[in-house]
Amino acid sequence: MQTLYFTLALFLLLNLVAGMWRVLRGPTAADRMLAAQLFGTTSVAVLLLLAQATDKAALRDVALVFALLAAVTAIAFVRRAWSDRETKRDAE
Amino acid sequence: MPSDLLSTVLLIAGGIFFLAGTLGLLRFPDVYTRLHALTKADNVGLGLVVAGLALQAESLATAGKLLLIWLLVLLAGASVAHLVAATARQRGIKLWKQ
Amino acid sequence: MIVCTVDRRQRLEFTPRESVFFHLRSGCLRAVLFALMWWILTDGAMDSWLVGTPVILFATVVSVVLLPPSSWSFLGVVQFVPFFLWRSLYGGVDVARRALHPRLPISPGLFDHRWRLPPGLPRVFMANIVSLLPGTLSAELGANCLQVHVLDERKNFLSELEKVEQRVAAMFDISLPPSRGGE
Repeated sequence: MQTLYFTLALFLLLNLVAGMWRVLRGPTAADRMLAAQLFGTTSVAVLLLLAQATDKAALRDVALVFALLAAVTAIAFVRRAWSDRETKRDAE
Repeated sequence: MPSDLLSTVLLIAGGIFFLAGTLGLLRFPDVYTRLHALTKADNVGLGLVVAGLALQAESLATAGKLLLIWLLVLLAGASVAHLVAATARQRGIKLWKQ
Repeated sequence: MIVCTVDRRQRLEFTPRESVFFHLRSGCLRAVLFALMWWILTDGAMDSWLVGTPVILFATVVSVVLLPPSSWSFLGVVQFVPFFLWRSLYGGVDVARRALHPRLPISPGLFDHRWRLPPGLPRVFMANIVSLLPGTLSAELGANCLQVHVLDERKNFLSELEKVEQRVAAMFDISLPPSRGGE
């Protein structure tokens, strides 16, 4: 099982990197917001797999905090960081 | 061991959903459709990974924690998807039409 | 458990004593839920309950004050869970199939769903649920309707959304006005 956990964790990490391409490329500000969504789920899955593989229960708590933070940061992001200048460009 | 086999199947299935979510993110034409892919596929992927890990958990409390984390991510994912979509609509980002 | 069979219309018009009882009942239930959460978070460590008990009591009081108890039905919740799990799994399969398909079979559109649920928690809950169900994403939570972005506008989402609304109403123990049919 150990091998599977590590392989899957690595695979998910690669997924995250591939998804980052979209986040960096945009084209709209909304596309960059998707980073929050992508990181929220994938990083939690990676942490949970590593917690099981390395037998470190504390990593599960890290995943829990990540899950909580993902929601808060995303909401702050959408409400505050989405500037009007970007909006004008997006609407075109 | 049967539970090991079931866990393996669940974990691999979860990985496939994550892959599909990322592919959707890269291939879909606008932010709304990308949100569909990311929200639904990744949440199902995480659900399957959590289910696979819960079968291997050494205590009931650990399995409960995994479930709690999944529910939290589910709630966060759904709220964030709605918030991004609603804000994108308000800011006039157009829908992709065929 | 006689309380559960009381007619909803009667329960809405609280006499003060009933209201106190109602608050007490939901307070107890929340305390049990918080205790369960504490047990999960501490991995069942016995010595943590010294801190845990006051925390749980405090959390219960705060939650009852900040989020006053609303009516809900146990049966509705029990029926909702398998429905949601199954439909959201299907939602994941559906979108995964489209994303992996070489020709990317989507034809997105917008769909307005006229609310039958009362404003507040039930609507927010449904808006969240809709984003996880097959082919739908809640885009705007309006006063009269929920604007839904759909992945495939050729499908009939009206009956699907009405079914979801019915389930959510059952959970919150609300009776919906009759459907207005195809609008």
